[in-house]
Amino acid sequence: MARLELIDINKRFGDQVAVRDFSLTVEDGELVSFLGPSGCGKTTTLRMAAGFESPDRGSVIVDGVDITDLPPNKRDMGMVFQGYALFPNMTAAENVDFGLAVRKRSLAERRSRVAELLELFGLAHVARSYPHQLSGGQQQRVALARAVAISPGVLLLDEPLSAVDAKVREELRTEIRRMQVQLHITTILVTHDQSEALSISDRVVVMNRGGIEEVGTPTQIYSEPRSAFTAGFIGAMNEIPIRVVSGVKGLVQRGGRRVTAPGAAGMVDGQLGLLLVRPELLEPLGAANAALNGDLTMTGRVEVQTFLGATTRLLVRESQAEPSADSELPTTRLLAVDVPSSSAGRWPAGSELVVRIPVGASRVIADHPRPAGSGSRPPVAIPIAPAQRV
Amino acid sequence: MSNPSITGEATEAAVEAIIADANARRKVRNRADRRPRVPIWAAVVLIVSAVYFLLPLYATAAFGFSTGKHFTLQPLWDGLADDGFHASLGLSLMYSVVTTILALVVVAPTAYIVELRFPGLRSTVEFLTILPFVIPPIILTVGLSSVYGINSPVNLIASSWAPVLLIGGYFVLTLPFVFRAIDNSLRAVDVRTLTEASASLGAGPARTFLGVIVPSISLGLVSGALLAFTTAMGEFTLAALLGYPTFPVYLLNVNGFQPRMGEALVLVSFLITWAGVIALAVVARKTPGTGVIRGGPM
Repeated sequence: MARLELIDINKRFGDQVAVRDFSLTVEDGELVSFLGPSGCGKTTTLRMAAGFESPDRGSVIVDGVDITDLPPNKRDMGMVFQGYALFPNMTAAENVDFGLAVRKRSLAERRSRVAELLELFGLAHVARSYPHQLSGGQQQRVALARAVAISPGVLLLDEPLSAVDAKVREELRTEIRRMQVQLHITTILVTHDQSEALSISDRVVVMNRGGIEEVGTPTQIYSEPRSAFTAGFIGAMNEIPIRVVSGVKGLVQRGGRRVTAPGAAGMVDGQLGLLLVRPELLEPLGAANAALNGDLTMTGRVEVQTFLGATTRLLVRESQAEPSADSELPTTRLLAVDVPSSSAGRWPAGSELVVRIPVGASRVIADHPRPAGSGSRPPVAIPIAPAQRV
Repeated sequence: MSNPSITGEATEAAVEAIIADANARRKVRNRADRRPRVPIWAAVVLIVSAVYFLLPLYATAAFGFSTGKHFTLQPLWDGLADDGFHASLGLSLMYSVVTTILALVVVAPTAYIVELRFPGLRSTVEFLTILPFVIPPIILTVGLSSVYGINSPVNLIASSWAPVLLIGGYFVLTLPFVFRAIDNSLRAVDVRTLTEASASLGAGPARTFLGVIVPSISLGLVSGALLAFTTAMGEFTLAALLGYPTFPVYLLNVNGFQPRMGEALVLVSFLITWAGVIALAVVARKTPGTGVIRGGPM
């Protein structure tokens, strides 16, 4: 229905930079998520698209028309707010009807449109209920139906599911996606919930400190993160310090072993880097097992087991570094290793093990010094399973 | 029985469960039977205040509905038939209604805009509205008289514009109550988000205010209206000093030469006020959003 372009958007609140150099095109019928920690500027960007804030610099363009200076009520956008923002004095049906009534549609059209939407969102039986009589999930559906009723060119969702409980949230996000595809509506979803963003988006925009960290499909964002921030923010990611021996050959070194890591190709010789490995790709071996050629290994002891359902996460602390170790290379403090819960009994807390680190498929990023003031991060972002991050 | 011991155990367990259940129920019932205890001090306070408030009412009735020896309603009939009564009550009602409307029309949008756009100014506005508590009506009257009086170039008091002064004064006196009532309601709903939601659906500011905000704060508007109306109805100083024969002024005058009739009419004014309060309370309870379904577009 519409193609939304945000061009070089900048916004400050006082001396606080809220959004900087934000440029993005959302294609017709695409669902794009803005994902990032709180205060990263994702909601501010959305509010600028909606017209509730005006950018200090940059423009908002819909289908080639610059709407930067248009007030919100003149923009063709539907919005769902974090706290639903249903009109308390109106029934569910009246809420859905509001935008149509404002647009002075005929009574017959309004009736059939409202009935159709209530049907689509499974709300027909609560049409005459007031918001306070509805459950959280129902209120959220009314808010969605209301925003969609006016057939907006762009649909803006501001953390729409943050106020409903976990089970309803999963149900609703599937429903949002189904509706969005069915109505073919250009949509921006703001969320801090990565599983939400990854599960229903065409593309995910990872934001940090007011800027775009990276943009990609959910698979790209999860499997091939380009920045350390994304790697640490999305899912659990082990960051294993390595030293690049040869950028040309893609050779890296750790603990006296040299292995080929295609991910290190093109990096500067002698540079410190981080090998990014998802916990489910690490493989625990018995302590007796010899080191394997071609891959890195790490010897350690299981500190904690965390049951996550189908898998169990082992937090492994590296044993004393070998004598030949690179003194500049920081030690890996804790490694998260996911094993099927059925075999977790083999690695009880306190047991010694060797972890195989598959180097071949793993990305390597430069280990930049942390920006001043951001505080030091442990070499391994303490991994938290998506399911635990509520 | 092939396995009597198991059956016996099961029965025993079942019986035990039933007994436990019955005990639990009894406990619940006992708790429900126990009446909440009223602390003695609360009862004393209640009785003392009841006497304090009801005794004057009783005295008024006893004096007003009596010939001095026995009960009579004659003073009431005299009062209700009195031309001065009708004229003054009419005047008071008119001024109070105008004041109430003025107060709502001015305060509601102001409070809304302050809440929405200038939250930083809220405390300043609130301070301004409570000025009548700091500056008593007598000062207000003196001020009005000297600014708009006979010696002033803007001599309103002697002109036909004089009621404007009275209503203006009433308006100022009602501000603290009306602002509080409306502002409390506004703060109870999320004004900003509702406004944004309305705007995102295409509604302009007027539509948003009248169609979304006003119905959402109807309770505050009703109580604000009630407070404004009763304040204006009962106001004495301003009317007396500016020379308006409103109902309170009339009552005082009547009390001077026909005390029994005056007292009877005081009771009437009490009843009118109470009827008003009850009526508005009923209206407020029927406000949508509290369970009463109005016809939707369906």
